[in-house]
Amino acid sequence: MKIIYHAAAIFLLMGIVVSKSWADGIPVDKVYHPNILANERKLEWRLVSRQNDDGNLLAQRIAYGQAISDNLIIEGYIVGERDELGDFGLQAYELEARWMLSEQGELWADWGALLEIEKQHTKNTFELTTGLLFEKEYTHTSLTINALLVYEWGNSIKNEMETEVRLKYRYRYTPAFQPAIEIYTGEDFVGIGPAFMGLHRYQGQKQLNWEMAFIAGLNGDAKDHTLRFAIEYEF
Amino acid sequence: MTLRVFVLLVLSIVALADTASAAVSEYSIQLKDHLFYPSTIKIPAGKKVKLVIQNLDDTPEEFDSFSLNREKVLFPKQTSFIYIGPLKPGVYDFFGEYNPNTARGKVVVLKQTKGATHVN
Repeated sequence: MKIIYHAAAIFLLMGIVVSKSWADGIPVDKVYHPNILANERKLEWRLVSRQNDDGNLLAQRIAYGQAISDNLIIEGYIVGERDELGDFGLQAYELEARWMLSEQGELWADWGALLEIEKQHTKNTFELTTGLLFEKEYTHTSLTINALLVYEWGNSIKNEMETEVRLKYRYRYTPAFQPAIEIYTGEDFVGIGPAFMGLHRYQGQKQLNWEMAFIAGLNGDAKDHTLRFAIEYEF
Repeated sequence: MTLRVFVLLVLSIVALADTASAAVSEYSIQLKDHLFYPSTIKIPAGKKVKLVIQNLDDTPEEFDSFSLNREKVLFPKQTSFIYIGPLKPGVYDFFGEYNPNTARGKVVVLKQTKGATHVN
């Protein structure tokens, strides 16, 4: 049975690397872990800046999240974006639910599910994202994959189904410093680059997590770089 | 498109097929007065095991171990389960986040010898 699992994992990785997917906007974002901690509450700030031939796109998110059971966390986001014209403003609202489908370490891999709904601030445009979160530990390293289906609909856009895959391979070096490689695929986008993350513990359940990644687009554009940064305070 | 859907399908199939392995050895730990008993757990290398932790205190605790890559809330007067392994031989520390000075322990992973069944 193990051979089948390993073969499936290899095919999956090959699929991610060679395939192209569709998803609008900035495809680089957080790679979600499937695990949830009971009683978890958090404040989060994310920044993504993409520089390509068309100029600079900047997105920032502020979020509050709270675990409402042992295996479910709800998070609400306010999204601000700067477009190609240089205007930065409130762009969207988002509500996200993440389920932990298996106890960490119980199965061959850890599994989770994601459900996200986003509404544009000034338009009746919606985006529904759902998908599977996968994580597999190999001694001091962890492979995390998010395979997502995105459906967009509304008055000002063409209704369409999109797909997105995010991958992170992390080396748990020390709590404060964990290097990783991240791969993202979105609409006409394949990107890869180094990532770094870490955490600092305070008293009790309080801790500060940070993540940073620099993703180079492999789409053929002369310039396509994305910097992402996230900081999260758990309490 | 086809390949992307293929990726999602493979993940879904593996998720559905992923079931718990048959027999997993259990190791009991008690948390009392913010101390783990026993504080040293010996387990065999290369095997998945289940830690059964009973929190006898009136307050919650949070089991935390960076080396084991585990974090779990231990609710008061309740029993919690933590699966660890398969691990390489070595010492893996854990602690309680709410009482890090007293609630401390370690998992000692021993190389398996022929014929050995249970190391704890």
